[in-house]
Amino acid sequence: MKVKTAGALIILVFLSGCLPTSVIDDILMVEAEGYDYIGDGKVLGTATMPNYVESGNQGGQGAGLPSTAAMMSSVSGVTYDSKSLIDKFQSKGQRPLRLGKVRIMIFNKRMARHGLKKELDFRNRDPETGRDMQLAVVDGSTNKLLTAQYQTTIPVSRYLTDMIDQNQEQNYPKSNLHQVLYSYYGNYMDPFMPMIRKEGMHLEMRGIALFRNDKYVMTLPEKNVFLFKMLFEKFNQGVYDYQYSPGKHVVIRNVYSTVSYKVRNGNGAEPEIFAKVRLMGDVRQSAPHLLKKDYHTKVEKGMERDIEERAFKMVEMFQKKRIDPLRLGDLVRSYTRQFDGASWDERYPHAHFHCSVHVNIMEMGVSQ
Amino acid sequence: MFWKKKRLQETDPNEKSPKTVKDLIAKLKDYPDFTHFEHRGKYLNCWISFFQSLVNIEFVHRDVFPFLYRDDVRNLNDIQERLPIEKIIRTRDISVIQTKLLEGYIVIQIKKSQAECLVVPSIRVKGRQVEPPEVETSIIGPKESFVESVDTNINLVRKRIPIPQLAMQEFRVGKVSNTRVSLLYLKGIANMENVNTVRQRIEDLEVTSLLDCNMLSQLISDNNNSPFPQFIDTERPDRTAASIYEGKIAVFVDGSPSALILPTTIVEFFGAFDDYFLTWHLASTYRLLRLFAVAISVLAASLYVAVLTYHYQLVPKDLLGTLITSRSSVPFDPIMEALVLEGMIEFLREAGARLPTKVGQTLGVTGGIVIGTASVQAGLTSNVLLIIIAVSALAAFTTPNYRMGTTIRFIRFPFILSAEILGLLGIILCFTFLVCHLLKLTSLGRPYIEPVYPLRVTDWKDAYFRLPYNIQTTRPMFLRPGEAARANRKRNIEKRGKKWTDIDE
Repeated sequence: MKVKTAGALIILVFLSGCLPTSVIDDILMVEAEGYDYIGDGKVLGTATMPNYVESGNQGGQGAGLPSTAAMMSSVSGVTYDSKSLIDKFQSKGQRPLRLGKVRIMIFNKRMARHGLKKELDFRNRDPETGRDMQLAVVDGSTNKLLTAQYQTTIPVSRYLTDMIDQNQEQNYPKSNLHQVLYSYYGNYMDPFMPMIRKEGMHLEMRGIALFRNDKYVMTLPEKNVFLFKMLFEKFNQGVYDYQYSPGKHVVIRNVYSTVSYKVRNGNGAEPEIFAKVRLMGDVRQSAPHLLKKDYHTKVEKGMERDIEERAFKMVEMFQKKRIDPLRLGDLVRSYTRQFDGASWDERYPHAHFHCSVHVNIMEMGVSQ
Repeated sequence: MFWKKKRLQETDPNEKSPKTVKDLIAKLKDYPDFTHFEHRGKYLNCWISFFQSLVNIEFVHRDVFPFLYRDDVRNLNDIQERLPIEKIIRTRDISVIQTKLLEGYIVIQIKKSQAECLVVPSIRVKGRQVEPPEVETSIIGPKESFVESVDTNINLVRKRIPIPQLAMQEFRVGKVSNTRVSLLYLKGIANMENVNTVRQRIEDLEVTSLLDCNMLSQLISDNNNSPFPQFIDTERPDRTAASIYEGKIAVFVDGSPSALILPTTIVEFFGAFDDYFLTWHLASTYRLLRLFAVAISVLAASLYVAVLTYHYQLVPKDLLGTLITSRSSVPFDPIMEALVLEGMIEFLREAGARLPTKVGQTLGVTGGIVIGTASVQAGLTSNVLLIIIAVSALAAFTTPNYRMGTTIRFIRFPFILSAEILGLLGIILCFTFLVCHLLKLTSLGRPYIEPVYPLRVTDWKDAYFRLPYNIQTTRPMFLRPGEAARANRKRNIEKRGKKWTDIDE
């Protein structure tokens, strides 16, 4: 009996061994997807896949693909905005296109304004792709961005993701697919993504694109990104440029920054939110003739006032636009018993935001 | 119809087992190495018979025959009294006479047809000298290893355990071969349940011949369908003695240069005896290294196959380029590639093991070159896989026990095949199967993966890592020894005195 069962199992396994395979060198791995909205519910989609064969096989002595063989490195086409691009492009690939290594999805501003509901939904359902993928909004055409020539020869998908990753180690707040989906599906908060632009032969970060639900609302300019990140999460290695008097700048690289919130009157008509920021930093660049005692009096105090003021203005603007990328609504909810969620949208613009910043400059270099 | 077969008539009907000494001698007389002659002396006439090839002929001439000429030797009684040899047997039992004769005793009769015989031992022992171990080599440990003679082997062990409690039992196994099998254990320390189990299993064996101790190991193992060896075999007397001190049982088979130690847990197969000669930090590191090597050896090739066939998402983006370019010239799927290379390595190993030593050396070089560069240049395999397979082969050889090493090499093939069929899920299924098998496996009825399951934290001190000796004050709980304590820990601490003295005190 045992032998029969085992035999039957083995036969079953071997007869059903027809799983579709994705042998690593027989597929095209899509690394970046771009969506340009062209109106009327249609998008121009672009997908790029890095071309690995160009370098050839060193040990191969002529076997296999010749070193000059160039593989298709990008495809584009028009499709309905809900449809996964890859299924559409499958007919254009000389090898099966696979989606598992998508590192970044980019949308042009029009697409973002149109709404990313469907894209976020099918990406959320897709078990094949990673949750640490980046999402970004492009100022300009994603198709042009993905198919253009750059100063670097590495694939544009790598270029993009590397640039975003390293910026999120510094001034930009972390925003991968996981974060975006959390803010999108969560209550009392709105997602945000980095904003990118192609500038001549290179790419650059242009601030943060802020959304209301799935629709793009406005861009946070680059100079406010530090403040945003400071209020959003604990971080280090950010750079802040403070102009303490006209034409005189002090640049601080923060060593450590924490933010703690307190909420009062969370269910009232005008809730009060208190943010307390502690910021420690080193001087990276400063105007000459600043003495040690000047740092404590002029720079630190001035900087505290400057940051407080600008942070307040930034949050005020969010309130005016009725967007909540800092997840303040969720914060108030977590501080309030029997939180009244239904009226939050009404009350949010009337909330009072108080920010108190304590700056501590730890190293200022040789100043005397 | 298919299964029935005309067999040769097994025995000559005329041939019967001999009933009398006369019959026996008549039967043996034709063999050229059988000597049977009449001794005619002044005072004594007698018949002497023996096998020239089995007796120590020099001893017989020098120490036995001269007595037959003495004037005070007139009959068998006198011989038995005067001969300065112990264990002379006087018997009429034909079966005793036959076995002793074939062991190298000489048989003395007064008359050719007389049933009463004197059986005098004069066994010739010819065998290897005790030599340094070849399989379980040690760098700083003792350089002695067992030989094919069971007496020498027991001598090597008794020398290390000079106490009367070292008990020994002897059995004869094999209907035809009558091989000597000896059981050694420490009375009062070894668990008698274990001893009785071994004794019963050995006594109940139904075999015609028994030639080696590894054969015995398989015959008395708990599960002989398992690829895992359930008893450790060693050629080191020091290791055997250490195990007996722990409360284990050693089994020797005559004609086999190794001892079986039972019962055993799986981690002992990955401990080399050298571990006990190094400080505990090093010994623990090397043990962990070996276990890690086993994991690599079993899983490396199958992970390669699974990831490259199904799970391209798992490859880090910086490794993708390397993998793809190295595979771009290979015409096969990863599974074929892996099987080709694994096959080549196994051919090489098997050929190296079977060939004479001198040929084997050149083979190693040729094989290395062929497998190393040529197969990559020919586009049969990829560079990356070559490294993976070479590392996994190397890792399998770090296992100190040869039988365990072969098992490790064997079980990676099911892993590779299931990785091809179901990817990582297949590897997990295969691994689950392996773990379930190991959970059920026993050695003399004791759990095989003991310090892990059932969890016995006290036994961890000498399993995956070896803790210092002053902590090892109890014998393994796994063995359920008669006396658990090795040393009195309290007295030990007292004797050592103050822990910290001043540096110049």
